[in-house]
Amino acid sequence: MTGSRALEHDWFPRPLPANAAIDEQNWLHSSYAFLHYRSTRPRGLRAGHDTGIYVETFFDLGPKGEVSIGNFCTLAGPIVSTNGRVAIGDYVLISREVVIADSFAAMPLAPGAEGQPSEEITIEDDVWIGTRAVILGGAHLGQGSIIGAGAVIDFEVPAWAVVAGNPARIVSWARPSHSDMEVEGER
Amino acid sequence: MEIEIRDLTGEWDYATLPDSIRIGEDCYLEHRGSFERMRSLRNPGLLLGDRVQVYTWSAFSVEPDGVIEIGDDSTLAGAVFWCAGKVTIGKRVVLSYNVVIADSDFHPHDPELRRLDAIAVSPHGDRLRRPPSVVEPVVIEDDVVVGIGAIILKGVRIGAGASVCAGSVVTSDVPAGSTVAGNPARVVTQGGQR
Repeated sequence: MTGSRALEHDWFPRPLPANAAIDEQNWLHSSYAFLHYRSTRPRGLRAGHDTGIYVETFFDLGPKGEVSIGNFCTLAGPIVSTNGRVAIGDYVLISREVVIADSFAAMPLAPGAEGQPSEEITIEDDVWIGTRAVILGGAHLGQGSIIGAGAVIDFEVPAWAVVAGNPARIVSWARPSHSDMEVEGER
Repeated sequence: MEIEIRDLTGEWDYATLPDSIRIGEDCYLEHRGSFERMRSLRNPGLLLGDRVQVYTWSAFSVEPDGVIEIGDDSTLAGAVFWCAGKVTIGKRVVLSYNVVIADSDFHPHDPELRRLDAIAVSPHGDRLRRPPSVVEPVVIEDDVVVGIGAIILKGVRIGAGASVCAGSVVTSDVPAGSTVAGNPARVVTQGGQR
């Protein structure tokens, strides 16, 4: 569903932005998530079905900011701060206090500010992101990869890799034991 | 409890803050709650320069003897201050999301004193009997950029124009103009992680 609807359970008295398309079979904690949302894109935010966007999640988008979130995702309170594109696949779990941002020193943009152009961030299907991890512009998290708590990522993570630490490095692999999962990231 | 929406959107009356909080011209203070943990008995205990922007996630947790100074044109996206003594932030400084700045460990290090401290801070303890903690001032000079989730600990001076990468834990001084990263934070000599 699109347009300026309001959430039935909302405590914050604002409608959802008109350019936010959030499936009705979806949980979004509040329009408070859009406190710093300035996207002027046709679809500033798209969130699929059976996705939960929980308390403390914020979408701090600049005028060119554009975020798409797939189906069956859980966002347990990250801040997404970008003036560019962030693409999140299906079945993605993102923990508390995670920041997904186009710049290492991101901040909310003041009303009317243009913002800088920024690098895309891609998070493929089945990715897990641990608490307090930071995902920066240029990051490409391959299918099924696992990002450890507190890791800082601004590079390409191969499918099914487990990365951790600061600086982050591959510490293990989490490949599926059955081949019925799509393993598109294997190279 | 009725939620006052304007308390969350910077539209509240900043003049209602206690006298010990001094605010310069044209500041933007988004969330009233950012100032609720101000316990400083100093006056001023918190000094914000002109055009300082303080966003929702920021918090000033200041002990009775603590003083925080923030220079003109600085932006605090989500900086949490734990201040027992003195924290000084220069001009045009950016503190990004989930940053923590602490000028003390807030507990003593000696094993026996740790035990006494644990008792004194317990729910029914007597906080006046807490043993003293080490307090060392933190100074962040002009034009410093502190990245997402960085933690700056006691006694640290970050030189003018330095960059602290996301997720860094800074335990020692950072030279002016340099870039540091990691835990513990080290000078990054070339390229690499931002």
